[in-house]
Amino acid sequence: MSPEASSAQRLNGAVGMAVFLGACAMLFAALLFAYAVVRAQAVAWPPPGTPPFPRAAAASNGLLLIAAGFALRRARGHGPKWAAVSLGLGALFLLMQAGLWGRLVAGHLGPGTGALGDVFFALSAFHALHVLGGLVAIALLLRPRASADARPRRLRLATLYMDFVVAVWLIIYVAVCVA
Amino acid sequence: MRLDIPRDVSLDGHVVDGVMGYLTLSTGIAFALLVLVLVVTLLFHRARRSRPHAHFTHGDGLSARLLTVAVALTLFLAIDVTLAVRATRNLRERFWNYPDGDPNALRVEVTARQWAWTFRTAGPDGRFATPDDVVTLGDLHVPVGRPVYLKLRSKDVVHSLYLPNFRTKIDAIPGSTTRLWFQAQDPGRFEIGCAQHCGVSHYKMRGWLIAAPEDAYRGWLARAETDSRLRYDPADVAAHEGWDWETGR
Amino acid sequence: MTAPDAPPHPAAPPQTPTPSPSPSPSWLGRVFSTDHKVIGKQFLFLGLAFLAVGGVMAMLIRWQLARPGQPVPLVGRLLFPGAGGVISPAAYTSLFTMHGTIMIFFAVTPILIGGFGNFCVPLLIGTRDMAFPRLNMLSFWTMAAATATLTASFFVPLGAAASGWTAYATLSTAIGAPGAGQTMWTVAIYFNGVSTVMGAINYITTVVRLRAPGMSWFRLPLTVWGFFLTSILNALFVPVIAAAMVLLFFDRIFGTQFFIAGSTIRAGGDPILYQHMFWLFGHPEVYILILPAWGIVSDLLSFFARKPAFGYRVTVWSLIGVVVLSCVVYGHHMFTTGMSPLLGESFMVLTMIISVPTSLLFLNWLGTLWRGAARMRTPMLFCVGLVFTFGIGGLTGLYLADIVADQYLHDTYFVVGHFHLIMAAALLLASFAAVYFWFPKMFGRMMSEGLGKLHFWPTFLALNVVFGGQLLIGWAGMQRRLYDPSAYEFLAHLLPWNVWISRAAYVLGAAQLVFVLNFFVSLRWGKPAPANPWEVGTLEWTLPSPPPHHNFDVIPTVVRGPHELGSPDALARGKDWLGQDEVLP
Repeated sequence: MSPEASSAQRLNGAVGMAVFLGACAMLFAALLFAYAVVRAQAVAWPPPGTPPFPRAAAASNGLLLIAAGFALRRARGHGPKWAAVSLGLGALFLLMQAGLWGRLVAGHLGPGTGALGDVFFALSAFHALHVLGGLVAIALLLRPRASADARPRRLRLATLYMDFVVAVWLIIYVAVCVA
Repeated sequence: MRLDIPRDVSLDGHVVDGVMGYLTLSTGIAFALLVLVLVVTLLFHRARRSRPHAHFTHGDGLSARLLTVAVALTLFLAIDVTLAVRATRNLRERFWNYPDGDPNALRVEVTARQWAWTFRTAGPDGRFATPDDVVTLGDLHVPVGRPVYLKLRSKDVVHSLYLPNFRTKIDAIPGSTTRLWFQAQDPGRFEIGCAQHCGVSHYKMRGWLIAAPEDAYRGWLARAETDSRLRYDPADVAAHEGWDWETGR
Repeated sequence: MTAPDAPPHPAAPPQTPTPSPSPSPSWLGRVFSTDHKVIGKQFLFLGLAFLAVGGVMAMLIRWQLARPGQPVPLVGRLLFPGAGGVISPAAYTSLFTMHGTIMIFFAVTPILIGGFGNFCVPLLIGTRDMAFPRLNMLSFWTMAAATATLTASFFVPLGAAASGWTAYATLSTAIGAPGAGQTMWTVAIYFNGVSTVMGAINYITTVVRLRAPGMSWFRLPLTVWGFFLTSILNALFVPVIAAAMVLLFFDRIFGTQFFIAGSTIRAGGDPILYQHMFWLFGHPEVYILILPAWGIVSDLLSFFARKPAFGYRVTVWSLIGVVVLSCVVYGHHMFTTGMSPLLGESFMVLTMIISVPTSLLFLNWLGTLWRGAARMRTPMLFCVGLVFTFGIGGLTGLYLADIVADQYLHDTYFVVGHFHLIMAAALLLASFAAVYFWFPKMFGRMMSEGLGKLHFWPTFLALNVVFGGQLLIGWAGMQRRLYDPSAYEFLAHLLPWNVWISRAAYVLGAAQLVFVLNFFVSLRWGKPAPANPWEVGTLEWTLPSPPPHHNFDVIPTVVRGPHELGSPDALARGKDWLGQDEVLP
């Protein structure tokens, strides 16, 4: 592909990714708006009788995700094996999240037990689905039969997406677990 | 085939009818002009031997733009602005001017549920949660010539108290308290409907608003509160309808 | 305004030379085609099929309203076996719910946005395919999966969703709607939304990046503007209803309480939160549906009146104005919920302000027709029909924008008449105009003019009787969603009105059979279509009918706008139109 054609294609990808991230941002903004309403309605926050939230566990999971984001960035200059590392870290994040949810359900902080559980579960479960989507995209671009030409472009797009997913996690963490 | 509109028996319902009338007149004129233009163009501005091609213009000259803006602005001022100004005034002075401090206003707590309306009045002592509170199922008794102040709650899903003869309605939402006020000017029996889809029997969720002259109303209230006193059990809190009007609890 | 023969626009983006791979010979490749023209047809057929399903539901609703409690003739025992062919109150609530859901999400959206958007946009802007052909293919199959989910919901034990297409909480939560049907409904709407957002990504990127050299923004056909602006609204607001569906799903399945009020023992949310989220999407949604129609009609009126679209720039800015304003008016659906007076008044004022760009758009249509040389072919008839019905429908919106009148009219048949005049009548007429107009290009054959006119007149007249009649009975106070209006004494006298409205509805339904006949007969035996049967200048008409897989052999260079009809330059050459890429010596 000619250089101007490939730069044109890159711009197409960037525009498309911008629209996609805009739509995802609206989705999470709407979910956060719902959280704000639930919180405003509550007599106190966290609602009285809510067990303490395992912030440290949630934070360490978050660190895994941030590491996955950095690993993917590193793949740009240092080879596709870093993308595989990112994939592994991301998968580990999801496993740890599942573990966290199990722990929350056992500790009466699951969905349906109270407002904090409702909010955290809804936001984090939906976030996790988005992480999963990102991991599928990384896996696809790492396929041996995938075009090596397209890989740098796809990697760039995947990186943008993972950055977004990490940013959303940070916002969720601060809004729900810290505040 | 009659198209009778429910008879307006309320203090302020005529404002609603006035708005509808003004809108029908103004939009009617606008629409008639639109149809006129359409008819003229479709009859006379068609392709025929005497008219082989159209008048070429992009319509972006100054005069064209001024004309369209002028027409749009005229419509906007004559209809939208007029309506908005009048509506704001009427809402603030009438419909949303709730009789909160008015000792003359009859206060009624309305509970909506699938699929009936219950109404609790404070009884002759004027205080809620006392033995003389009157609770009625489906029938709302009101006096003529005095404001009636309703507060509404729902036990399950969203309903909407609809008073066609008073040209008004208000939703009843689980978890919140909404309010409505009106005043009957004529006595009579007027239907109450539900105006928010609330399940399979939404179409049968009816009631009756019975407006009576003050004496007749007081007579009804006296009889009703006598019955209520007989049945009132201060210990059976779960059977008490309604809530504390002042505190909302 | 661009001068007709201005040189190509210097800053047009370079064409991305990624044509779709050549058409696949395998059936799998054809079914999962990435060619926008094939995908467009797939959406069109899906949408038309479900338009029929939604239409049959409407006929059933009208039967029940005209003859409450009587068994439905012919198909009654088949559809409602347990009740001897009678529509029960529970069945009725599902009927109006699914009618609305199907018409909005599974008929009009696939026909206009998925169907014509996909087919037309790349052709009209002069490129070979959408920016992301495989995403496009995924978008159709996601829509198909959503459709399958919705269809399956009819067959679960407690039946399909029955809380209205608006699905207000708490009726739509486990409190009011036990049963898998409502849950499957949330899933179907969610994936319908995913499909739509995929489409929005494609349309926005394509229009921004892949316009042919010389195709500046103000030389775009208004059809393209319609699809582009609709896609912006889709990208912004479909995610909001997706979020509402997620939370509703969680409330139903995981026992969360986002849309269920809290109590002293458990903090919760608010049913009104659902309404805010729903209408934040719901109001832009009605503009999402109408914008393509406005764009198409603005172009077609020009084409058939044989003169330029009047006030093109003002029209574009009006469309943009409507898009911006549509984001801040949604509260007018909630005037009776007891919102704060300031909020209510703000929504009222903003809603009224939308009249301004809308009336500018409308006046420009009249300006286009004025002093034209109209060719009253079938597509033109449908466009004029839209101008008429949208005129009434739009004006009746003013009644509802005024809170004082809305107190009485909210949730009555006045609202039903209003939105059906716009959503059903205007959109249906626009969709038919689009089909009659682009059928030759899509399928290489002409549809019958005679059958087209036979389709138009009863359709147009019946639409006005049905929905105009509903405006009247709404004024008489009849509420929406009533299984049997005669349960109310004050509505009993309206039965003859409902009978006549239903009769007109049956005529409307029957008239569509003419369209079905015309469509399939022309598909097989229609006269072969020339490249440019309508003699207009937009780029798709420079290609054979139907176009080859790769669309353009050579990407065209655009030298003028899309509405150069009746110009002196054209007349000097013995015709009354000039192509967008037609270079004059």
